[in-house]
Amino acid sequence: MLDSITSLDLLGADILTTLLFLPSLGALLLLAVPAEAKQAIRAMGLLFSGATLLVSAKIALRFDPATPGISGFRVDYPWMESLGIRYQLGIDGFALSLVVLTTLLTFCVLLVAAGQDLQRFKGYVVSFLILETGMLGSLVALDTILFYVFWEVMLVPMYFIIGIWGGKRRIYAAMKFFLFTLVGSLLMFIAILFLAIQHQKTTGILSFSLLDWMNAAKSNAWALTPGMEALVFGAFALAFLVKVPLWPLHTWLPDAHVEAPTGGSVILAGVLLKLGTYGLMRFALPLFPNATMKFTPLIVGLALVGVVYGAWVAAAQKDMKKLVAYSSVSHLALVVLGIFAGNAEAAAGAIYQMIGHGLTTGLLFMLVGVLYDRRHTREMADYGGVARQVPVTTTLFVIATLGSIGLPGLNGFIGEFLILAGVFKVNVVWCAIAATGMILSAIYMLTLIQKVFWGPVTQPVNNGLTDINIWEFLGAMPLVAGIVILGVYPGPVLDLLKPSITFVLEAARLHP
Amino acid sequence: MDPSVFFFWVFAAITVVGALGVITMRQPLHSALFLLLTFLAVAGLFILQHAEFLAAVQVLVYAGGIMVLFLFTIMLVNVRRQAKEPFVNRRAGIAVLAGFFLFLLVGGVLTGPALVKKGPPADPAALKTTVIENSTARVVVPGNSEAVAWGLYRDYLLPFEVASVFLLVAMIGAVVLGKRSLEKFD
Amino acid sequence: MPFPVSDLILIVPELFLTAVALGLLIYATVVSREKEGAIAWMALAALVLTGVLLFVPFSSVTSLPQIGFAGMFAVDKFSLFFKILILAAAAVTILFSLRFIGSSPYPGGEYYCLILLTTVGMLFMVSGVHLVSIYIALELMALSQYVLAGYFKQETKSIEAAAKYFVLGAFSSGVLLYGLSLVYGAARTLTLTGVAQALAASPKAPLFILGIILVACGLFFKIASAPFHVWAPDVYEGAPTPIAAFFAVGPKLAAYAIFARIFYSGFGPGSADWTVIVAASAALTMVVGNVGALMQENVKRLLGYSSIGHAGYALMGFLGYGTDFGLPALMIYLASYALMTLGAFGLVVMLETKGYAGESVDDFNGLARKNPTAAAAMLVFLLSLTGIPPTVGFIGKYYLFTSAMKAGWFWLALLGVLMSAVSLFYYFRIVRAMYLVDGEGELRWKEEPAVSAAVIACLAGTLLFGILPQPLVSWAKACLLN
Repeated sequence: MLDSITSLDLLGADILTTLLFLPSLGALLLLAVPAEAKQAIRAMGLLFSGATLLVSAKIALRFDPATPGISGFRVDYPWMESLGIRYQLGIDGFALSLVVLTTLLTFCVLLVAAGQDLQRFKGYVVSFLILETGMLGSLVALDTILFYVFWEVMLVPMYFIIGIWGGKRRIYAAMKFFLFTLVGSLLMFIAILFLAIQHQKTTGILSFSLLDWMNAAKSNAWALTPGMEALVFGAFALAFLVKVPLWPLHTWLPDAHVEAPTGGSVILAGVLLKLGTYGLMRFALPLFPNATMKFTPLIVGLALVGVVYGAWVAAAQKDMKKLVAYSSVSHLALVVLGIFAGNAEAAAGAIYQMIGHGLTTGLLFMLVGVLYDRRHTREMADYGGVARQVPVTTTLFVIATLGSIGLPGLNGFIGEFLILAGVFKVNVVWCAIAATGMILSAIYMLTLIQKVFWGPVTQPVNNGLTDINIWEFLGAMPLVAGIVILGVYPGPVLDLLKPSITFVLEAARLHP
Repeated sequence: MDPSVFFFWVFAAITVVGALGVITMRQPLHSALFLLLTFLAVAGLFILQHAEFLAAVQVLVYAGGIMVLFLFTIMLVNVRRQAKEPFVNRRAGIAVLAGFFLFLLVGGVLTGPALVKKGPPADPAALKTTVIENSTARVVVPGNSEAVAWGLYRDYLLPFEVASVFLLVAMIGAVVLGKRSLEKFD
Repeated sequence: MPFPVSDLILIVPELFLTAVALGLLIYATVVSREKEGAIAWMALAALVLTGVLLFVPFSSVTSLPQIGFAGMFAVDKFSLFFKILILAAAAVTILFSLRFIGSSPYPGGEYYCLILLTTVGMLFMVSGVHLVSIYIALELMALSQYVLAGYFKQETKSIEAAAKYFVLGAFSSGVLLYGLSLVYGAARTLTLTGVAQALAASPKAPLFILGIILVACGLFFKIASAPFHVWAPDVYEGAPTPIAAFFAVGPKLAAYAIFARIFYSGFGPGSADWTVIVAASAALTMVVGNVGALMQENVKRLLGYSSIGHAGYALMGFLGYGTDFGLPALMIYLASYALMTLGAFGLVVMLETKGYAGESVDDFNGLARKNPTAAAAMLVFLLSLTGIPPTVGFIGKYYLFTSAMKAGWFWLALLGVLMSAVSLFYYFRIVRAMYLVDGEGELRWKEEPAVSAAVIACLAGTLLFGILPQPLVSWAKACLLN
């Protein structure tokens, strides 16, 4: 099966380029399909996202974890020659794990969408396919301008996904999402330009390549003064922390999540938020080791506030989506804490949690969407005791919840445990505060299940609730499988991540 | 005081007063007459520069031709006394302030000490003749109508011709905007 | 300095275009109103042919730049760059106008003739290397535009636009001319090279500085940058839409070209003084344009304010004087600006081709459903105007911000990106109307092959140069001032 996809390489492109542009190719071809041909659109969407998933699987199988640096499947062509901007792609274990997560979630989202009755279905599929290119591009780009381009490309389809297929306040939420992320990324853009100029001034080489910059950062060959470094780090960190989103930059997230359609929420929580933490580890830390050191107390402080705040606010929510959204704020703050704790355990836990959170939260949003599609309400009070009506949904929801709150045997446990273990080594108090967040998460998630699924049916209208349909089930199953596999057999993934973590921590001079 | 300097100041003062009159008079006719005064004073300035030809053209074309057309137009359209509006409106203060500031600036610059490196002192006799540099010879042209002709039709030929297109556009514009009837179409 | 008659070959394109314009004017008197479309097509053909003829002077000269007509007119690559863009903008305007004018009660003959003549003015402007030839050409361009702005003379708005444009334009010309005369007084010459020499000899002469400031103010008016921008939204709103599109691009291109030429070739030695003025105006313009656009309901006014904002960005290009980055950044940006602005205006033209109705943001409601292709095209232009990759607008902004930062103007680049974020608000009001709001089915949309063709060309350029900018970049870099 996998070898038959080798033919995709025959397009003349290398495997990473194929991976990147396969979804956009699908989007482009879809433009020629009439909007009424829903079957054809569905088939095309699944075909192209499925093919992309297979390509990413092939990359995963072919990838050798021992590859040093970020050099897997390296591609390097001049793009804007006179500017030193290159079409430079590469992958390591870290990026690879998120690439697979991205392709998997996109495919699942389109599976679920196949079972939904969506207005303007073609636009929906096209948006997700373009979004997929943007996400994958951000993960594999090594040239910072190329990275920035893909980073921005993500914004527009997501704006439409929230703005067209979203809830009542969708226009407000879409604009807020767009604006928050754009301001952050524009500042990063200026920082990128500044670094390139500085790099050329000091080393004589005009380059936007992350690898060149990391070399320059190693011995501070680009002569950044502490003040400059702090400012540039600030710009990068702001762009990424808005995306994460770290308290107090998180205010766009609940709005965006609540208003976004199911698929949008899944991708938003599953991948987009991770790109923030990915960016921190890929760019902010290795490029600015001194500033990282300087800012660690501040960011750790914010992360600790975020862990507790997110959990606390989540516990007070009546709206299921809002609850899951705030739980994301809490969980992602924990990931940030893991990144800045500065040791290998915490970093490994952070990445593991990024993947795990993508799966569990993606699944949670998917299932909330299933309920919403049937009842058009997300208020917990409108449900109650629906377990008997929707047994499959309930089962899946419980699995996702348990994964999310870190039950041993499911993915969340490993990530959270590693982070807490790593943080414990650094500072016991941090660890204690972070652990509160974990306890709170168990409380609010179990309350949610209690209120929605268990007990007697409180509202007669829920008696007619239908269970998950085949498309939704197909879309959910890979995530469930992922949650379980990551929970019981973390070895291969952790092995995959290890070299990347060493690489990042060495560059950031954070390892002991 | 050198008489030419004295007359310069006289004509300059008349020019400025005339220009102020143009924009402060309420009656278009009065404005037009002040414009005439300005034109004549400028002609006087040209004479002081030994540009007699230009001065003559100024009087004939502007003061004579164009002003007459202006006056004809004003009389033909029979502009009545305009409704009284306050002469000084809200923004006048700002305008006067800005103008005064510019005046100080320009005045300061023009009367300031170090302007630019002084060129050779002007030779009054040289103004009466024009020296034409040629690739082969140095031609001295007597009188200044020839000098104007040399300048206009040789060195400045291109802008001169562009200006002719410019005037054509002015004509087209006048016709387009002024033509009363508009044949209805569709 | 006499010049040989053979210099005439240097202005063959301009001569040809003038001749055609005059010929069309005569032809218009004999052709019936129904057949006026032929005039438009002839004008279009003439513009294309002029584009071909642009290469004639190059074949006749041995070295570049070739200065002809006693130091008045330069044939160089720099002017070629702008001439091609200007001719393209004029051609697009004619495509926009075909039905707009054809279905209006106003005659077409003079209209197309004026478009050609204003284009002639622009062509002479960008080749001017003598302050007098630049000034006269500028006036030729401007006068034709005053008439074009008021061409729909029975519409109060159009006449108002023309009157405002004329009064303010004449005032700014006066300021410019005063500045030029002071420069002449200081330099005792009007050729740009002579001015540069004189300025280098006495760089701090107050008379020079005053002249430079006044010239800058006059030119700020022409490119609609603050604080001389107030005319732009009114004129864009009142002028016939194709003309508004032309105003937003053609005259600006020419004005930027002479701005660059006068300030680089002429005032270069005084750059330490004038960069401060330009930077101040750039900052003010970005803020005024982008913040002003936030409150606009009329798309033409909105695009007017947005073009003010873009003038602010473009001014940053001048700050790179002395580096190898400023001028190419400006030229690349202007090319990208021309593509996306013309494209966006083209869709406004199609939205309603009768008179003044249908130009509010709400008129775009539901366009994505009615005509997804057009909505997608507008989306690309708006993204490009915001500066989001992968569009040419991003490439342009990339160059400008880099140029400003290389020249040490960090705060200005920072202000620029913040204003880009602000611009998102108003550009996306149109996107919102097109995609997120359901139209009530009363969208007045007129598909027109000619306009569509022009829009598709702009779209292709916007995307193509956004993804593969190298050809544009190389071309701009090959066409710098020497």
